[in-house]
Amino acid sequence: MATSFPSLFPGMLLDAASRYAEDHIAQEIQGDPVRELGWTATLVPEEAGGAGGTLSDLASIVEGLATHGLQLPVVETCAVVPLLLQAAGAETAHRWLEAVAEGSARIAPMVALSATPEHDAVTARHLDIGYELSGVVEGVDLTLPATHYLVPVQMDGDDAIFLVDAERIGAPKARYRTMEGRLGADFALERLAVPEGACLARGAAVREARAKATDAALLLTAADTVAALATLIRQTVTHLKERRQFGVALASFQVLRHRVADMYVKYLGAKGLVIHCFHEYEQGAADLRRTLRLAKVSLAESARACAEAAIQMHGGMGVSEEVLATRTAQRLIASEFRYGDRLMHAAQLLAPPQSAERVSLSNQTGSVR
Amino acid sequence: MSIDYAGFRRELEAFARSACPPDIRAVVAAGQKITKREYQAWQQILNAQGWGAPSWPREAGGTGWDIRQRLIFEEVMAENDCPPLYHHGLGHIGPVIIRFGTPDQKARFLPRILDGSDWWCQGYSEPGSGSDLASLSTSARLEDGEWVVNGQKIWTSHAHEASMIYMLVRTSKEAKKQEGISLLLVPMDTPGITVRPIKTIDGWHHLNEVFFDEVRVRADNLVGEVGKGWTCAKFLLERERLPPANVARLELMRRQVTQLVEQASRAAAGQRDFSGLHHKLLLCEADVKGARVMMAEATDDLIHQRPLGVQPSAIKMTCADVAQRLTTIALDAVGPDAAHRFLADAGQDVPDATWIQNYMFTRARTIAGGTSEVQRNVVANELLGA
Repeated sequence: MATSFPSLFPGMLLDAASRYAEDHIAQEIQGDPVRELGWTATLVPEEAGGAGGTLSDLASIVEGLATHGLQLPVVETCAVVPLLLQAAGAETAHRWLEAVAEGSARIAPMVALSATPEHDAVTARHLDIGYELSGVVEGVDLTLPATHYLVPVQMDGDDAIFLVDAERIGAPKARYRTMEGRLGADFALERLAVPEGACLARGAAVREARAKATDAALLLTAADTVAALATLIRQTVTHLKERRQFGVALASFQVLRHRVADMYVKYLGAKGLVIHCFHEYEQGAADLRRTLRLAKVSLAESARACAEAAIQMHGGMGVSEEVLATRTAQRLIASEFRYGDRLMHAAQLLAPPQSAERVSLSNQTGSVR
Repeated sequence: MSIDYAGFRRELEAFARSACPPDIRAVVAAGQKITKREYQAWQQILNAQGWGAPSWPREAGGTGWDIRQRLIFEEVMAENDCPPLYHHGLGHIGPVIIRFGTPDQKARFLPRILDGSDWWCQGYSEPGSGSDLASLSTSARLEDGEWVVNGQKIWTSHAHEASMIYMLVRTSKEAKKQEGISLLLVPMDTPGITVRPIKTIDGWHHLNEVFFDEVRVRADNLVGEVGKGWTCAKFLLERERLPPANVARLELMRRQVTQLVEQASRAAAGQRDFSGLHHKLLLCEADVKGARVMMAEATDDLIHQRPLGVQPSAIKMTCADVAQRLTTIALDAVGPDAAHRFLADAGQDVPDATWIQNYMFTRARTIAGGTSEVQRNVVANELLGA
């Protein structure tokens, strides 16, 4: 069985994350493990005090956590934040990236978990002194405490990024538990006044950073999905072998054997697709975004089918949150709706070329994705 | 010396574009059934180039290419609408003869496979044994220095146009059922062989029943040792567990169906809703990309002699499933216009109706070569134990 689920991103980072997740499985999150474990430094360049790592390094952490079902906002805190910060001028970016790496600034993106960092929920208006921000951002991850929020905005028809003190933003208008057990919140910014220096960047650099953050979020969520699928199938296999009904192990019923075989074949296909996505990312492929959207649509289909099958095969236990497979199924279904759902991405894929989205600046060839 | 795979791909691309006749490419591009005429003509062209047997070792007249080169070959040929290689001679019995055959058998049979003069079919399945191959009962007894064959084979593709059949026969009933089976090479014009067509749901004639009534075969047409045919059959199956053509051809089919849906969508001009089909095509596209990586990983495992585990079963299941979904999409796209034109008079070309035939034909993908249920058993045994 162990060899049936080879790691996608093996190495020390995966081992450490996996061990941490195993030790903290099904516990309430205390403190700020993501920063305490130094993972926020992963993508931060070495000259800013970071590890200078790659998305594959971060994917190791994502995989390690998913393997034991631990839910932490690694994608948001360790990928989206540093990639958005890189839109700022060199000196400003360096200062904040350094603070992110050492954990002195706890920055969270003010972005709905269900939307990509390219989505505009907030608008900004330039005043005589500073700016005012307006808009409603629903479903922001609040799992970890934040000292600052990075807010992507539209300003005079252009993209901009603001860094705003959490105190200035104030309390959310509503708090929730998300589908997979994170803390979520809705924020309403009503002509929120911020100082001149809060605007970190605007224009092309922001568009590039938002595109890169979106690509990263889609890639890492896909990696999370495949790792969670492996966990789900492992748990289901264990259940079928251990659980006895009518005097025999469930694993002896052919209909269940075939069902889990179908899940495994879907997992292999999903794994292949994610590996393909990472290859395209590493090679700077012209149609990376198209492939990521395809993966989003396809993984949602496979993940939901497997989640539903696992719940069914666990019988009554399948509807209890105490069971890891059930929590993993919740995570898989929730991941469908992270960074744009399958319907949104399918709509982009099927849109006529003339209405396709703007040129992605993270794409070296400049082709329309 | 390391192989320049990119240069190799360019060389193949140039060849495929210049050497494959337009009429043959048109058949492939349209998704029409590829017949002996196209297969043979293309085999002769490839053989003249020295590429008649991509999977064979050089000393047997093959190219000596590694499996990655074979994968590239299949991809490039599919991308350029060239026919696939006819598998029964080149992919199945050829390698078995190379591995187990006598020098005389190699000299008699291999050159005729390479130049396309012999057209082989496979005598494995019997009415009482489909996926359960070991239960076969067609018998061969040695009499006056010849094998005398009696029995029946079924689902024999191309038997009506083949010149040779390789067949598993029971030469002993003493041992357990896998033992006592031998592999025999039989000319199809031998007296006592009767081929009867099986009418299939796709309207094409490719399957047959083959009856053997006191068919006398020269003794030295038995491959390997008497009673060890199962070893040859297993070798054949293992060699062909990962046919690189599957994934490459799937991408070709996906492009064809995408084009078909776009054309049908434009022609329907808002009268029919194609959004569901477009969405299904996206899923197929993603699945083909995933299958391609699965294939590449299995290729690496083969190159490094690592065990393949369930990968061949998973790849076969995936490819069969995607092929069926693609042809189902095509059926939906052309159905209203083509359903009443399923089979045209001889000589008439009805491109849309071909997709209905393709839909029907593709139902066999989850049956032939081990049903998907058998493949699921293989995967489940790995996950859950036997």
